[in-house]
Parts: sequence; C-alpha cells; structure tokens
Amino acid sequence: MARDLDIVSPRGRLTRGALAVWAACIYAFLFAPIVLLVLFSFNANRYGTFPITGWTVKWYGQVFHDYQIRDALTTTIRIALEVTLVSTVVGTAAAFPLVRSRLPFRSGVRITLVLPIMIPGLLIGVSLLVLFTSVLHQTLSPTTAVIGQSVYTTPFVLLLVAARLQGFDAGLERAASDLGANTYQRLRYVVLPLLAPAILAGALFAFTLSLDEFIITLFLIGNHNTLPIYIYTQVKFGITPEVNALAALLLAASLALMALAFVLPGLVRRGLRLVPRKAAA
Amino acid sequence: MALRNPATQSADVALPLGRRARASWAGRLGEYAGFAPAILLFGLFFLVPLGLIVCYSFWRTVDYNVVHDWTVDNYRYFFSVPTYVSTVWATIWVSVVATLLTLAVAFPFSYWLARYVPKRYQKILLVLVILPFWTSYLLRVYSWLNILGPGGAINRFLHWTGMTERPVSFFLYDRPAVILVLVYLYFPFAALTLYASLERFDWNQFRAAMDLGATPATAVRRILLPQIRPGITTAVIFVFIPILGEYLTPQLVGGARGVMIGNLIVNFFQGAQYTRGAAAALLIAALIVVLLAVFRRSLEIEDPYGT
Repeated sequence: MARDLDIVSPRGRLTRGALAVWAACIYAFLFAPIVLLVLFSFNANRYGTFPITGWTVKWYGQVFHDYQIRDALTTTIRIALEVTLVSTVVGTAAAFPLVRSRLPFRSGVRITLVLPIMIPGLLIGVSLLVLFTSVLHQTLSPTTAVIGQSVYTTPFVLLLVAARLQGFDAGLERAASDLGANTYQRLRYVVLPLLAPAILAGALFAFTLSLDEFIITLFLIGNHNTLPIYIYTQVKFGITPEVNALAALLLAASLALMALAFVLPGLVRRGLRLVPRKAAA
Repeated sequence: MALRNPATQSADVALPLGRRARASWAGRLGEYAGFAPAILLFGLFFLVPLGLIVCYSFWRTVDYNVVHDWTVDNYRYFFSVPTYVSTVWATIWVSVVATLLTLAVAFPFSYWLARYVPKRYQKILLVLVILPFWTSYLLRVYSWLNILGPGGAINRFLHWTGMTERPVSFFLYDRPAVILVLVYLYFPFAALTLYASLERFDWNQFRAAMDLGATPATAVRRILLPQIRPGITTAVIFVFIPILGEYLTPQLVGGARGVMIGNLIVNFFQGAQYTRGAAAALLIAALIVVLLAVFRRSLEIEDPYGT
C-alpha cells in the first residue's frame, strides 16, 4: 500500500527525488531568515548584519539594561495576561452552546465567531480605533489594546475547546447526573477536568498570540509600547544588533510557549488519569 | 447520541431527545447562556465597530469633525486620486500573484508530504512547517530585512562572488520583495490546508488511472485536482484575504513602489481622516465579500488551523 508502483520506475524515482529536494529547499526557505536573525544577534559587528566579525552576547546584555525595553516588556506581559483571561473565559463559555445547543443559523454563528481570525487585523484595528476615540471618547491605553487583541484571540480558544467538546463522551455526564450530580457538580468534576487540556492549550495560544500581536495593537496602544511595537519603531531607524537580540529572545519565548501549548495538555491529561491512556491519545 | 445541554437541570438530561424540543423557556435560555460574554465581546467590539466603519465611510469630515450627512464623497474622492486607484490595482495584482505563487510552491510540497513520506514522520514534518507560523508575525517580516537589505545576505553574497560592484536595491523596496515575503508568511496556511485534503485522497485511484494508461501528469490533473478542489479553495481564501489587508510587509520591505491599500488606510487614520480611511477600509472588506461570494460553495471553515 505504501509502496507505489510508479516509484519502481526510473521516472517515478526521479519525480520523488525532485519533490524531496523541493521540500528541503522549502524548509531552508522557512528557517533561513529566522536562523540568520539569531546568528546576527550574536555577531560582534555593530551593523547587525554580515560580515560576522566575532561572537558576543553583549547585545543581549544591552537588551536587559534598556529601560524602554523593560517598560515594553512589562506592558506586553500585563496585556498578554489580561487577554489570556478574557479570551479563555469567553471562548470556553461560548464553546458549549456552539457545540451542544440546537442553534438556528448554526453556520452563520460559527462564521461570525471565527471571522475575527479570517479578516485582516487591520480592519479590526481601525474599526476599534474609531469606536474608542470618536464614539466612546476613551484615551487609548493598554486596556483598549487588551480588548482589541481579545477579539482576535478568543476564536482560537473557542475552536480548540469546541473541538475537544465535540469528541466528548456524553455518557460520562449522563452517568454523573444519574449518580445525583447537579449542574454545578457535573461542570466542576466531570466536564471541566476533561476539557482542561484544551482550555490550557487555548490559554497558552492566546498568551502567545497576544505577545506577538502587532497590527491591532499598533492602533490601540496609544502612547505605550509592547515589544513588537517597540521593535517596529526601532526598525524605522535601521537594523541594530540590539533589536536582533530582542527579536531572538521574543522568538525563543513564543516557540517555547507554543511547544508548551502542544505538550502540556498531554501531560495534564495523563496526570489527571481520568481517561484511559488509549482514549486520551 | 449527543447530550446537548450541560447547563440545565439533571432531570432534563434524562429526558429522551424527542421530548427535549419542548423543554422550558428557562432551559432554552440556559442553553445559550454561554454565548452571553461572547455576544458582548464580539457584538460591542467587533460587529458594532465594523458597522461604524460602514457609516463613517458614508459620512463627511468638516473641520476635523465628523458630520452625519450621508454622502459618497469619500469614495468619489478616493477614486479621483490616480495614485489611490493604481494602488488598488497594485494590491489586487500583488495579492493574486502572491496567492498563486504560494499555492504553486505549497502544492508539490504537500503532495510530497502526503504521498511519499511515511505516516509516522508526516506529523513532525508538518509541525516544522507551522513552527515559523507560530512565531511573531512582525519578526518574520523583520527577519527578511537581514537578507534583502543593502547590507543583507543576498547583496553581501553577490558582492563576494564579484557579480555586483555595489549593493543592489532591487531585492528590497519593490514589489518582488513584497511578494517574496508574502509567500513566506502565508506558505504554512496553504501547505496545511492542501496537506489536509491530500491526506484524505485515495492513492489507489491514482494508480488505477495510470493502469488505464494515464501519465502521472494526467492523473494529477484529471483525478487528483478535481477531488481536492475544496482544499484548494480554502487555501486560496486563507492566503488571499490576509494578503489583501497587509500593511506591515509593504511598509517594511515594499518602500514607495510596494504600497498596498493597507498602507493607505493607515495613513488616512494616522492623519485623522477617519471618513476617507473608512471608505478605503471598506474597499478591502468589499473585495473580501466578493471573494467569499465567489467561493461560497466550497468554503470549509470548520477547523482551519488543524487544531
């Protein structure tokens, strides 16, 4: 089954080889910019680019001593935590009726809920800018950025939790209620523990997305800076090795968080031991 | 048998499904209670602002104040400026080319992954494709400056090989650079969606076609492509829509010649010309609606991120 007949023919082998080379090129294409970025962040050269004149970590030292960066980091994390809270609660709550109720216009509701992912962030940014400044007369602040980012991150949580809820064994809940559990108890002791891995993954997604979000934040942050916004303002003056170092750190942070989002739910699931291992996988 | 409602009384759960249709109003309401925070968030901060943009695009700005007169002046103004009109065409052109290129680059890759790679390695190779996608969008654009810029890798390389005397700016601040970076940014979308449909394809049909005398190319064209059409459509949509609203890529690598509608919109809003900016923003929205209407039938948005 796995062996195709045409692989045996010389021509088939050629096609296969060519495709493998193509795939290798694509991986190089995908990772070259990122690898170079990290490489340059260790380069002693003042201009943040080739040639490599020596290795140093002094740019990283400068990153940690720059008070603007420290400010931006504090704002970024504060915003990310608030966005995580909002989108996890809203997304999880909405996943239940989305999956389980007899919804009129189900596909319409579904599309509306994932629309914020699909449409360009630019539109979300400018439309909220108009709402906040011209209609509600709010000063732009990290709070307005939190609201804007939440609109964008919540659908991700919703999709993750809804997917898990879809594959949920309803019999478990029925059994709990047969044993006398009330609504709260069913939710607290049966449903939420089973959904925990998905909710956790959703929260980590939301946190990472918020950390990296640029376009919506650009319109709504006002006088403050998040790390992406800070990097953006610096890039206008040209590439510097400090910015490369900061960028490398931010890259590492998002990759670590995403890895966590993929690994942690599995660990939690296993730790809870509520589901047989086979079903959990 | 799906248990539909977690949030109502336990007695309700025990009812057979047929009778649940006549459940109490309170029960029905409880069923939808989970939507309340989402309605607040998406209603107030997503749908209302979008509606607002629509209104603003038909209102007027007089002395920095928005006057609620209904008019199409903003649109008339936009289309009366030749640079804006050519920017719209440039945006559509860049979006179409970048989308086609992305799919052309992604298809052989996904084909290879789904057909020739052993199942147990497919997942890890796929994760490697999505990995850059989960890093900062800003940084993915930014990282290209290291490569394309005057002191970037390509120019250094050309200089080193003696092919050029001084840095060539062709690689940066023009449309080719924009398209290259866009392909880079949206490749994971296309690869993922195409892989998802190729993975479901039954390769025996492919072999049957060849047994009946079709060449591999014919088999791809007549057997494979028609069957993965929904996947291709989804890929087109998920690549084309975000590219239409791109701001950062043209801003950082496009320079004056790579401007897209997104840049115009940002300029309008930063210059406090809200009503004109709204009209330009609505133009993007209109293009998206047109695209979705065209592909309405094969829209698959159940789980676009393979989560």
